[in-house]
Amino acid sequence: MIHRGEDIIIRTISRMLIPFIQLYGLYVIMHGHYSPGGGFQGGVILGASLILLLITHGYHDARSRVPERVLTVFSGVGVFIYAGTGFLCLVLMGNFLDYAMLAKILHTDAAHARSLGILSVEIGVGMAVMAVMVSIFLDISTGGVLPGEEEEKQKTAEEA
Amino acid sequence: MQTFFLAVALGICFLVLLVLYRVVYGPGVFNRVAAISAVGTKTLIILLIVGFLYQRVDMFVDISIVYALLNFIGCVAVAKYLEMER
Amino acid sequence: MEVTLLVQAADESFTILEKARVRAVDLMNTAAKLTSETRWMEEKRVRAIFRGARESRAGLQNFVVTFVILFVFWALLSGKYDAFHLSLGVICTGVVAWMGHELIFHNVRAGDMRVIAWRFLKYIPWLFHEIVMSNFHVARLVLSPRLPIDPNLMRYRTKLESDTSMVTLANSITLTPGTITIAIENGEFIVHALDRKVADDLNAGAMEDQVAHIFMEADHIYIQDVLDVARIFAALR
Repeated sequence: MIHRGEDIIIRTISRMLIPFIQLYGLYVIMHGHYSPGGGFQGGVILGASLILLLITHGYHDARSRVPERVLTVFSGVGVFIYAGTGFLCLVLMGNFLDYAMLAKILHTDAAHARSLGILSVEIGVGMAVMAVMVSIFLDISTGGVLPGEEEEKQKTAEEA
Repeated sequence: MQTFFLAVALGICFLVLLVLYRVVYGPGVFNRVAAISAVGTKTLIILLIVGFLYQRVDMFVDISIVYALLNFIGCVAVAKYLEMER
Repeated sequence: MEVTLLVQAADESFTILEKARVRAVDLMNTAAKLTSETRWMEEKRVRAIFRGARESRAGLQNFVVTFVILFVFWALLSGKYDAFHLSLGVICTGVVAWMGHELIFHNVRAGDMRVIAWRFLKYIPWLFHEIVMSNFHVARLVLSPRLPIDPNLMRYRTKLESDTSMVTLANSITLTPGTITIAIENGEFIVHALDRKVADDLNAGAMEDQVAHIFMEADHIYIQDVLDVARIFAALR
């Protein structure tokens, strides 16, 4: 269980820095083809920012910002975008993940289509990595049982 | 200019070696945490100087920002863990 | 004849008292004018509370300001200014600002932001000057062969109210060489100071006054003093 820190300084500085860290993570994802970065690295930075929020503000306060269900959906959607782009290229009579075939629906030349295809794949990877990192952190730190679920389980055990 | 940057980088590497003494022999874990954080800031400078040497500063500035971020978050995480242990 | 002298003396004393009262009223008006900015903000705030418009406008203003600041940050990071990357920037900044707009400006009252930002910008050169002065002092301490330091841990009660102002003061104390803020507990700062002079500078409270002036806190005192003084002089008439 992650308790809320009593130190005002760390709490305030973290909450001011977190939007900048998240924006930097998104910058690293979007500019993967031009500067060092890409999907996985940006996802790690985004996940690190959410972990910072959880560490400094404690689980109860930060719970509304990092809900478990949304994280699960995010990881699934990330993988779906990755595989979906690949299958879209298959459907358009190309190989799996042959982004040049995307030029048919996007009406640009093959080079731009490849760039946009890679960008969409990186976004999918980033989303999945962020969600999985925060999920692993929550699992390890709370011992597998979320504080809200624990009370619910106790109530249902008493009723049964 | 290249040799000047190289000399500066080697000097800072030597300073990192000095701080490593505290990491290895520091009595207690708090000394080690503070020393690791100091090593992190020097690593940042060395990365930037390497960027100057390879004449691709923009690339290495991105990497340095990421490393500074992870250094900070790591320090906060270790401090939180030590607080909860006691 | 003694009666005339007595009447004259009474008349003179009454004129002196009357002049003193006029001067006191002038002083009161000047003090009220100096704090009138704060009072105008207070009145606006009270009116907004009654209108119920406070929360929604604060949310939108927070979102817009956060969006602008984050977009400037994105434009600095990304060297490419063509339409595709800028539109990507707008989308990313929009998502981040929408999910975290109350993170940066937590509890800032609507309408205060401009005043606080301007005062903060005026504070930074003063802080820089303080840092340079402290640098000289600490360098002289450290480089002298006797090393006349006297490190002590002091607790410092503060009059600041909100989180942000306390953190600003803590950061300013840590940036100034010679003092380090260790913790804040229940409105009390625990500061490690290098020697007596630096600790006395901190206790004098110049930095705390400046920070309180930025965030418009702990200045209700002036209006209360003015009101107290006014009652005394009204009784003298």
